[in-house]
Amino acid sequence: MVTPGIGKRPPRRLRWLAAGQVLLWSGIGLGAFLLLAQSVQNSAEFGRLQLWILLVDACAVIALSVLLARKLWRLVRDYRAHVPGSRLTARTVGIFGALVIVPLLIVYVSSLEFINQGIDSWFKVEVKEGLNDALGLSRAALDLRMREYSERTVALAELLAGSEPATIQSRLDAERRTSQALEIALFGQHGRILGASLENPFETLPSQPPSDLVRQLEQRLPYVSLEPQSGGRYLIRTGAVLPHTPAGHEPRYVVAVYPVPEQLAALTEAVQNSYNEYGNLAAMRQPLKYSFRLTLTLVVLLTMLAAIYLAIYSAQRLVRPVQDLIEGTRAVGKGDFATRLPLPSRDEMGFLVHSFNDMTKRLRRARAEATLSQQAVERERTRLAIILARLSTGVLAIDRSLTVRTANEAAGAILGTDLSAATGRALPELAANNERLGQFVAALAVRFAAGREEWREQLDLDGASGRRTLMCACTSLPGEDAGVGFVIVFDDITALLQAQRDAAWGEVARRLAHEIKNPLTPIQLSAERMRRRLSAGMSEQNAEILERGTRTIVQQVETMQAMVNAFSEYARAPEMHITRFSLNQLVAEVADLYRSQDPRTQIRLQLDEAIEAIEADRGRVRQILNNLVTNALEALDGVGSPRLEITTQLEHGGDAEYAAVSVCDNGPGFQRELLGRVFDPYVTSKPKGTGLGLAIVKKIIEEHGGRIDADNRPEGGARVRVVLPVKDSTRSATGGARERREQLRRERA
Amino acid sequence: MIRGRLLTILCAIGLMLGGYASGNALEGVLEVRSAYVNIDKGVFLLYARVEYPESPAIRDALRDGITLTFDLQARVDRDRRFWFNAGIVDLTLRRELTYHAVSDRYVVRDTKSGDQTTYATLDEALSYLGHIDGWPILVEPQLNGGNYNISVRAGVRRGHLTSSMRAIMFWTDDWARTSEWYTWSLPV
Repeated sequence: MVTPGIGKRPPRRLRWLAAGQVLLWSGIGLGAFLLLAQSVQNSAEFGRLQLWILLVDACAVIALSVLLARKLWRLVRDYRAHVPGSRLTARTVGIFGALVIVPLLIVYVSSLEFINQGIDSWFKVEVKEGLNDALGLSRAALDLRMREYSERTVALAELLAGSEPATIQSRLDAERRTSQALEIALFGQHGRILGASLENPFETLPSQPPSDLVRQLEQRLPYVSLEPQSGGRYLIRTGAVLPHTPAGHEPRYVVAVYPVPEQLAALTEAVQNSYNEYGNLAAMRQPLKYSFRLTLTLVVLLTMLAAIYLAIYSAQRLVRPVQDLIEGTRAVGKGDFATRLPLPSRDEMGFLVHSFNDMTKRLRRARAEATLSQQAVERERTRLAIILARLSTGVLAIDRSLTVRTANEAAGAILGTDLSAATGRALPELAANNERLGQFVAALAVRFAAGREEWREQLDLDGASGRRTLMCACTSLPGEDAGVGFVIVFDDITALLQAQRDAAWGEVARRLAHEIKNPLTPIQLSAERMRRRLSAGMSEQNAEILERGTRTIVQQVETMQAMVNAFSEYARAPEMHITRFSLNQLVAEVADLYRSQDPRTQIRLQLDEAIEAIEADRGRVRQILNNLVTNALEALDGVGSPRLEITTQLEHGGDAEYAAVSVCDNGPGFQRELLGRVFDPYVTSKPKGTGLGLAIVKKIIEEHGGRIDADNRPEGGARVRVVLPVKDSTRSATGGARERREQLRRERA
Repeated sequence: MIRGRLLTILCAIGLMLGGYASGNALEGVLEVRSAYVNIDKGVFLLYARVEYPESPAIRDALRDGITLTFDLQARVDRDRRFWFNAGIVDLTLRRELTYHAVSDRYVVRDTKSGDQTTYATLDEALSYLGHIDGWPILVEPQLNGGNYNISVRAGVRRGHLTSSMRAIMFWTDDWARTSEWYTWSLPV
């Protein structure tokens, strides 16, 4: 593919047209040259062809001037616009032009001199002198004959002067026959014909004597003249006045016309014709020179213009591959590797263009491969990003300055902040308003400051929502500069630890129920039997001691039984009776119950009417609410204006619906160090109680497939939030609660 | 600077080409003094008196052998009201004057008929050329009513030049002159 704009050529038709024009005008110019060369040797031919030569040349000059002006204008425009290659073109045109113009001017000046000398040579002095000599010779030959005829006419006039009028005609005839004159006539005053002898018998009158003859004879001088006639004939006309004219008589004169012999007349005519032709030719000498100069100038001008035009054309053709290369290089520089240049020829320039095309081809292929690789990397990166996004494990890549480079969603969720837009930002900056993240960053900073780049540790992060335990693994990023980046992989194992603790407590409870509860009854029975059997035979003092001892044993056994029962309750996984009931109604019943028990406390309900009914074990849900409200009321002891707020809210998670119940008070809240463990057995800040209330609540909720959170409100007080699935099918699908309950039951059984 | 050099070269070429230009060699009066027509048996005969220039230069040129051509052009036009006049007749009476060096006489030749007459002096020859008597230019059937104008003018030029030569020398040839038109209405 040839890149548009590079190697742009006119259409094939225009190229042929331009070539045709060049050939046409070259042919015309050459033809004009040939015609000029031919006409120089033949003036008549020159006269015939010159107009055409000049017309053709003038047209060619005008056409070439227009074309050349157009070319030059474009050249200057490109030069000023710094078009690539224009300077090289201008320089080449200058060199070509100088190489052509200088010899042409030399030839022109030489030709002008040659034309001047050549035309002058046609009119050499010798030719003129020769003609004059021939003219003189002709005159001399005719003068002899004219003088002879004139003397004969004078003698005839003298003869006629003394003759009688009656004899004049016979004398005229005799003289005409003797002298072989064409006519002899005797004239009187005013040209009156007194007698005439004519050779032509059909003519009756002699010819009219010319006026110059009359004028000369009036002066009584003899007259003779040579009269050229049409057809190359010559006549000699003589005249003489008759002498001795008596006074009172009219003057008379005789006029004779003699023919010139044909041979002499022909020679004379030839000399005269040559003289006239030479005269006419000589008169054309300057016009001829002028015409030749004009023709030569036009032809030279034509040649010069054509040469300059061809110089520009050749220079542009020569430079065009260079321009293409420049344009191609620029295109490649801009990243267009599809650039392909047209091969100008098979010479060195063609090799260069071929190498360029080969280079762009390789570049294009390399870029295609790089693009494929990049796409593969992008695919891998996308895949990795998807994997990272789907991972429940947090992954965080940072550099040494703790600037985030990559973080997945789980990392943000675990650290309690949104890290989706954290790339490029420093972790300390992000941790400004996040206590948990701040502790995490501080832990990282301590380890990096100690030079530890590869470590795996458990981090405990305290926050408003409790303690979170993270299992962190840090390593430096491979492939990067040493120590530049780290990747930290961490997992929130809080739930895992909690589950382990729950499992441990469950095991403890099961063992307590099994190992401790069983001996208690025999102990209690044995103590009571001992009191019954031995108290009758003892002294009062001993009996009292026995009574106190056995009573203490029985009481402690009962206490232990209560404790074991509580444990048993915790460890028990009873059969759940799922029914559909109104959560809001249940909440209201519980609230009313406690309002009557403790009217001092202000219990406020905020129930979401969107919660119509939930599918759960109503009794156990009531137990949950009782435990939570009891805990809250116990926490409100000593508070000035105790307030308890119970809210319900319908939530949506995915396709399922959840009912959230929050129990908030304005008490002292949970102790910070206990916040992460409030649902563990025996974790309590109260002086009395088993410490199993919240643990049992949590266990019931988990058996329902729900979850429970506890934290402190920013305005003060504790908040426990319970989320239960609205439908039993949800808990079966999501948590497999039923199966888990069955499993728990089996394990504990 | 380049423009100045180009101008200099063009001026040099112009001077070289125009070096031949000079004053008109046919100086003197050239005009149709008078002209009229007579109708003889339905034929319009032109009578005119023309004064041709005479100068030593002409005389010398003739004696050097050149030929002068004397043209008398007669034109008859019919008036048209809303368009150019219609040309009815356009005739040229052409005669050549040469100097016959052998006989020392001036020869006037009618190029059409070939008839020639000789004169001892240039004055006589020019006088002969300037007297046109009875040149038939029109016959009555050519007239078809309306107003007609007759125009006559005389011309002198150096003869024996090819038409192409005359064409290229039209602006520098000082051996060619033409008089003004002498025009009058035809008395029909």
